[in-house]
Amino acid sequence: MSTKEEPLDLIRFHLDEFVLIKLRGAREIKGKLQGYDSHCNMVLSEAEEYIYNDSNDDVETKKTEMVFVRGDSVILISPI
Amino acid sequence: MSTFQPINPKPFLKSLIGKQVIVRLKWNKTEYRGTLISIDNYMNLQLDQTYEIIYEVEDGNETKKEESIGEIFIRCNNVLFVREAKSEPQETEIETETSVATESNGNENGNKEMETD
Amino acid sequence: MLFFSFFKTLVDQEVTVELKNDMEIKGTLKSVDQYLNLKLDNISCTNGNKYPHLQSVKTLFIRGSTVRYVHMSPNSVDCTLLQDASRRKLWFNPQSRMIV
Repeated sequence: MSTKEEPLDLIRFHLDEFVLIKLRGAREIKGKLQGYDSHCNMVLSEAEEYIYNDSNDDVETKKTEMVFVRGDSVILISPI
Repeated sequence: MSTFQPINPKPFLKSLIGKQVIVRLKWNKTEYRGTLISIDNYMNLQLDQTYEIIYEVEDGNETKKEESIGEIFIRCNNVLFVREAKSEPQETEIETETSVATESNGNENGNKEMETD
Repeated sequence: MLFFSFFKTLVDQEVTVELKNDMEIKGTLKSVDQYLNLKLDNISCTNGNKYPHLQSVKTLFIRGSTVRYVHMSPNSVDCTLLQDASRRKLWFNPQSRMIV
């Protein structure tokens, strides 16, 4: 029947690669994708978080070695 | 009345796979234009060769900021609508945008029917 | 189910939970459930005490939906296991199997 790959299947190819996640609240986080599920809960290693303010300067950058991101904040996922 | 063929949402989206689409999000006046690669049952989307378009309003003037971002996955809950991107000049797209935004969703349906004819 | 199992492997480790209201709480993860609600022991606020109402609190329960991030030590995570589990589509969502 349908052997089409769904969007979440295609994310699978980016495991162990760097991805950029856009989050609610004008945040972005770059990191190595270690795991994810269908809710877009994710675990990223070697992560950098960018928080933007209204004037769109890169206000804050925070680094973490390992972070779990809850899926309901996720807007989009893009490979780097 | 001639025979009316309804197009339901899922078949509509499936028919857009492989085509240029514009996805508008619920937040931040953000749109993404790209080629629709795949969808799933929740209507998560995957786009390729995507441009991120952000509408900013400064003193009553609307400006667009476009940026090329490659391949992306859009989580389903963020999507306001998905429409086919016609290859028209930029200015017409902006006019269509504002007219769609001010009128009700019934206009979207009207556009859909026109496309199938 | 995938991240439920993941958090179970983190029990008794120290984690820092960042909530959607910008509170940051460091503590020892004592338990987790399928909604990813968390119970932390021996907590301290890492936000520099902008939120002093937790000063006398030693243990608390966090509703999963309020969590933004959970930071943990990279040593407590088996990356290959996690990647493998994600690859094998171990997300528990039967509806995603339906033919589009």
